[in-house]
Amino acid sequence: MRHGKYPFIIGFLVVPVALYATFVVAAYLQTFQLSLTSWSGLGKIDYIGFDNFVKLWHDETFWKSIKHNLFLLILLPIITIVIALVFAFLLNVGGGHRGGQSRGVWGSKIYRIIFFFPQLLALAIVAVIFGRVFGPDKSGMLNGLFPASWKPWLFLADERYAMACILIVLIWQAVGFYVVLFSAGMGSISDDIYEAAALDGATRVTLFFRITVPLLWSTIQVAWVYLGIAAFDAFALVNIMSVDRGGPNGATSVLSLMIYRNAFDFSQAGYACALGVVLFFLTLTFAALTLRVTRRDSVEA
Amino acid sequence: MVATTPGAPPVRRRRAPRDEGTVTVGRSRTGTVVANVIGVIFSVLMLFPVYWVLNTAFKPADEVLALTPTFWPKHPTFANFTSAFNAPLFLQDMLNGLIVTLLAVAGALVVGFLAALAIARFNFYGRKAIILVVLGVQLVPFLALLIPLFLMLQTASLTNSLIGVSITYLVLILPYTVWTLRGFISGIPRELDEAALIDGCTRAQVFWRIILPLTGPGLVATSVYGFIQAWNEFIIINTLNSPAKQNLMAWLLQNQTTRGTAWGPLMAGAIITSIPVVVFFLIIQRNIATGLTAGAVKG
Repeated sequence: MRHGKYPFIIGFLVVPVALYATFVVAAYLQTFQLSLTSWSGLGKIDYIGFDNFVKLWHDETFWKSIKHNLFLLILLPIITIVIALVFAFLLNVGGGHRGGQSRGVWGSKIYRIIFFFPQLLALAIVAVIFGRVFGPDKSGMLNGLFPASWKPWLFLADERYAMACILIVLIWQAVGFYVVLFSAGMGSISDDIYEAAALDGATRVTLFFRITVPLLWSTIQVAWVYLGIAAFDAFALVNIMSVDRGGPNGATSVLSLMIYRNAFDFSQAGYACALGVVLFFLTLTFAALTLRVTRRDSVEA
Repeated sequence: MVATTPGAPPVRRRRAPRDEGTVTVGRSRTGTVVANVIGVIFSVLMLFPVYWVLNTAFKPADEVLALTPTFWPKHPTFANFTSAFNAPLFLQDMLNGLIVTLLAVAGALVVGFLAALAIARFNFYGRKAIILVVLGVQLVPFLALLIPLFLMLQTASLTNSLIGVSITYLVLILPYTVWTLRGFISGIPRELDEAALIDGCTRAQVFWRIILPLTGPGLVATSVYGFIQAWNEFIIINTLNSPAKQNLMAWLLQNQTTRGTAWGPLMAGAIITSIPVVVFFLIIQRNIATGLTAGAVKG
């Protein structure tokens, strides 16, 4: 029965392997190669060694961008996971027990659809919508809701709050997916456990911290990796929503945006590739650090 | 597991039960009310921007820019929708998006199903490495690949072409497809394969007649997910192609910058653009948890 399996394996895998060899592996190698050049994006390619990396070390925008990426990396996962956990809990077991089955709060099916809705909207649309929400004059949605006597808030046009606005949109968009993810995880926790604890007089809060969170820990770690990677990207939103793409005054610049602008706006493809190399290693380091803990679950599930 | 005679009152019940068999968790009524209030407030926050899009899309231009916005269009109109449909390139870009998305999803399903079969049903040297690559590709920042991607497709004369974008989208959604289908295929008992082999099926027939039909729900879930991803993508198509060969997302952005304050048609365009994805979602809504999380949750 074993004979003749290799034709199948090779036949089945040759296309995906070829695709990845070209589109990912070869492409990354080329990024690495170009990061050592002063190439503008057109014409002659000159090798300049590690000059690009020296340059970015002294680039103020680079450090600002790193700072903003770290801001997202810390806050996006924490806030999103907390909100999503609480709601998944409410939807699944918050409503008590009936006939040996834990119930969600009233209307939990509707909530599930509502929370998932933002996930369906394209980032392009989300960015356009929130451009209206954060409109810096009275026709903007939030400013329109504020009392008429208030001076309009600038939101994205204010250096101090621009990054927070971006964070809010990222959370708004992400929460739904993680509510569904955690709900799926909670569905696999046996009702007997909750029932036993409830009979022993455990409150909702106790159930949440003593049963739900520990039993979901591996799912939470997966969520952490996903959200961390989203925090390293964030290109689409920043590119569309922010004032002056990354502004005001660099207040919303992130690494991915720097890559794009250097490559396609500033004709500094070599420098953009150097930034790409940095982003590559930062993302992989983050993922490796987080996955170390969850390796068993995520590789051979 | 506590031994209770059926019908006997459960232990430590706080008050007379309203429904037979109800054990109220925790501090009961007050807690339930608080939980529901939080739920409602949060739902309003989640929905409000979407509601505002609908509100704006049905308003005539003067109401959209009114200094005191109203929560309801006073004179609802479809003018914004007709103006979106008649806008240059709108229908063209819609068609482009559809072509690119369908090509990418169909390709990813075929390639992904076969790859998932190989990973789920065979043990071979390098299997672990392939699984790691499949997972790893989802982690690396795609933006850093845009420049080489552009160069490669340029060399192959595939920039400003729908084919080039389709292939790129295929590569983007393939890891998820492989990983999810692998989960579904692993869930089919191997005994079925063996029984069919004994009954005289060839290996290829086993794949075609047994595994493929049983993977049906998985194929639906992955194709919906792939559809959403490809339909909503705009960075790649915006970079590789000129406006006549882009999709509706890119169209929206183009129009946001060039027609700054024409919010009505823009929002109407956003609604039209979202319809396919929302319809798909509502169709598979019941299975969304299994479909979208199959790759992430153990099992």
